[in-house]
Amino acid sequence: MSPGLLEGLLMLPALLLLALVFLWPLGAMAWLSGQASSVLTGLTALPNGGANWLRLLGDGRFWQDAGQTLRFALVSVVLELLLGLGLALLLQRPGRGRAWLRTLTLLPWALPTTVMALGWRWIYNDPFGPLNALLGLLGIGPYGFLSNPATSWLFTVLADVWKTTPFVALLLLAGLQSIPLELRESLELEGAGRWQRLRHLTLPLLLPYLSLALLFRLTQALGVFDLVQVLTGGGPAGSTESLALYAYLNAMRFLDFGYSATVVMGTFVLLLLAVSLALLLWRRSQPHRRPA
Amino acid sequence: MLRQAPGHAAGNRPGNRQPQAGVLLLVAVLTLLLIALLGIAQRHGVAPAAAGPVPVRLLMPAPFVDATAPLLKTFHRSHPNLRLEVTRGPLDTEAMSDLAIGALLLGETPYDVMLVDVTWTARYAAAGWLTPLEPLLGNDALEGMVPGARLGNHFDGHLWRMPFNGDTGLLYWRTDLMDKPPADTAELEEIAGRLQREGLVRWGYVWQGRQYEGLSCVMLEVLNGFGAYWWRPSAEGVAPVAGQTDLASPGAIRAAAWLQGLIRQGITPQAVANAAENETLQLFAAGEAAFMRNWPYAWREIENGGGPVTGHVGVTPVLAAPGQQTGGTLGTWGFSLIAGSPHPREAAEVIRWLTAPDTQRQLVMAQGYAPTWSALYDDPELARLQPLLAVQRRALEEALVRPLTPLYAQLSDLLQRQVNGLISGGGSAPAAMAEAQRRSSVLLDAASTS
Repeated sequence: MSPGLLEGLLMLPALLLLALVFLWPLGAMAWLSGQASSVLTGLTALPNGGANWLRLLGDGRFWQDAGQTLRFALVSVVLELLLGLGLALLLQRPGRGRAWLRTLTLLPWALPTTVMALGWRWIYNDPFGPLNALLGLLGIGPYGFLSNPATSWLFTVLADVWKTTPFVALLLLAGLQSIPLELRESLELEGAGRWQRLRHLTLPLLLPYLSLALLFRLTQALGVFDLVQVLTGGGPAGSTESLALYAYLNAMRFLDFGYSATVVMGTFVLLLLAVSLALLLWRRSQPHRRPA
Repeated sequence: MLRQAPGHAAGNRPGNRQPQAGVLLLVAVLTLLLIALLGIAQRHGVAPAAAGPVPVRLLMPAPFVDATAPLLKTFHRSHPNLRLEVTRGPLDTEAMSDLAIGALLLGETPYDVMLVDVTWTARYAAAGWLTPLEPLLGNDALEGMVPGARLGNHFDGHLWRMPFNGDTGLLYWRTDLMDKPPADTAELEEIAGRLQREGLVRWGYVWQGRQYEGLSCVMLEVLNGFGAYWWRPSAEGVAPVAGQTDLASPGAIRAAAWLQGLIRQGITPQAVANAAENETLQLFAAGEAAFMRNWPYAWREIENGGGPVTGHVGVTPVLAAPGQQTGGTLGTWGFSLIAGSPHPREAAEVIRWLTAPDTQRQLVMAQGYAPTWSALYDDPELARLQPLLAVQRRALEEALVRPLTPLYAQLSDLLQRQVNGLISGGGSAPAAMAEAQRRSSVLLDAASTS
C-alpha cells in the first residue's frame, strides 16, 4: 500500500464525518430551498421552480436584515478585538491577584447567552433598570434603550461586546504568552519604547491569533440569534432582526420550511462572501506589518 | 488473570494479550445479543406490558402541570386502565410552541395529547398534526360553554381543540385613585391625563407594545373598540387562507392613531415599545400607572405581591371608543389530540376528563383559573372564592378571537412590525396601517394562488 493511499484511507472516517455533519445538511437545505414546503402544502415538499429564490431577491426584509446583521457583526467584532487586545495586555502584566483577575474576566463568557441577555434586558429596563437609575443620578433620562428603532441595535452590540470580549482576550492572552521574553528584552536593550514594542513585536507576532479571533467572532456574530431573540425579539419595528432570526421565524413560527431554507442558503452565501472578503483583506495587510 | 502464572507475567506479552482479546470479544457478542433482543422485544411490543394500563402521553406548560398534579392522582384512582405520562413544557408560549413543533415534525410524535394555544389551532390542523375531536367527543362537545370559550377551536369544519381555560384581556384600574372605572376610551384618556397633571401618578395607561404576540392581542382589542376588523372570514371559512384582512379602514387607522396618541400625549410611557406582560405589570404594581391592560394572571400577582397597590386594584373588561362595542382578546389553552397517537380513544377520554366541569371546578377553587363552562360562573361558592369570575364571564361573553387561518403567525408578525414602528419611531397611522394591509394582502394572495 502506498503511503498516499494509506493517508487517504486514514482520513476517510474524518472526511465522512465532516460530510455527514456539514455537506449533508447543506445539501438538504439547498434541495429544500427549491421546494414549496409550508403549512399550505400540508408540509409536503413540492418543487416550485426557484420561486423561493425569486421571492428572496425581492424580499426587502431579507436585505434589511442582511444589512442589520452585517452592521451588528462588524461593529461588535471591531470593538471586541480592540477591547480584547487591551484586556489581554492588561492581564499579561505581572502583578498580585492576576489569577483572580483572569477568572473574573472570563465570567461573562461562561454565562449562557440567554441568561445574560435576560440580565441585560433588565439592565436596559425603562424606567426601573440600573442604567436608567444611573442616568437619573445625573439628572437625565429615563432613556428607552430598547424602544428606539434608531439606536436599539447599538445596545444589542453593547451586550454582545460585554459577553464575548473575554473570549477574544483569552485567545490573545494565549498568543501573548507564546511570544518569547528574550525578543522583548533585546528590543528593550536597543532602546525601544512601549509603543514601539507593541507595534514592531507584539502585534506582528499576535497576528495569527488576531485573525483566528476575527474569524471565530465574525462567523458567530453573523449568525446572531439568541441574544437578539431574548433582548428585543427583533424589535423595535424590526430594527434589530438578524438573518438567523428571520430564518427561525419562517420555519418555527410560520411553518414555511421551503422559504426558511432559502433564507438560510442566502445567508450562507452572504456569510461565505463576507468571511472570504475579511480573510482576503487580512492577508493583504499582513506583509506590510512585519518588522523589516 | 487466573490463567496467568506469576512467573510469566513479565516476559510473556503475547500470552498476556490473549485473555483480554477474549474478554473484548465476549463483551461485543453480549452487547450485540442484547441490542438484538431489545429490537425484537420492541417490534413485538414486549417492552410495554400488554396487560398493564394504557399510557397516554401529555405535554403541557410547566404551570399547568403543577396546577393539575393533585387532580391527576384522582384521575388515576378513577381510571385504573389509563396511565398519564406528563411532560413539563416551558412557561413561555413561544418556547412551548418551539418544543411542540419540534416534536410534531418528528412524524412519530412523543405525545398523544398537547395543550395548544388558541392561535395554533388552524396552523396545526392545516399541517396535519391534529386529529378531529368531534367523532370521539361528539358534535355537542362545547355545548354549555360560555360563547367566548367556544371560539378558536373549530377550523375547516372540524373540532380540533377542547378549551381548558377562558382567559381574556382585561383592564386593571386603581380604586385608590378613582371611584369607578372609565366607561370608554375617551374617559380613560381624560381620567389618566387629570391624575397625571395632579401628580397623583406618573403614567396613565400601560399596555404591551413590544414587537411580539402581546401587541397583536392589544391591537385586536383596540381595532374592535374603534369599530374596525382585523380579519373578515370568507363565506366558506375554509382552507387555505379562509378570509382577508381589513386593516386600512378608517376605524383601523383611528385605532392605531389612538395608541400612538397615548404615547405622544405622555399618557403611556415610550417604554411600552419594548414592554411585554411582565414589564407592564412591574410598572402598574409599583404604583406608577393608573391603568393597565393585562391577562387575569396579573390579578393574583398583584394581590399576592404585597406591593403599594395591593388591595387597591379593580378589574373590568377592556374599553371601546364611545358608542362602540367592547371586547377582549381570547388567550386560552386547549387540549388537542395528536395525529398518529396509538391510543386515540383513551387520549380523548383523558381530554374529556381534564376539561370536564368537575375538574375545572377544582382548578377554579385552587388556582383561580377562568373556567369555560357557563354553569361554573353561576356557582355561588366559586363566585365567593374568586371575585374576578363575574368580570371574566362578562369579558368572555364578548371575547375576540384572533384571525383563524394557518397564516396567522405571518399576519400577526406583519401587524406587530408596523404598529411597533408606529409607536416607537413615528410615522403616520394611515401609512402604517396601509402598509400592514398591503403586506397582508400580498401574503394572502400569494398563498391562495400557489
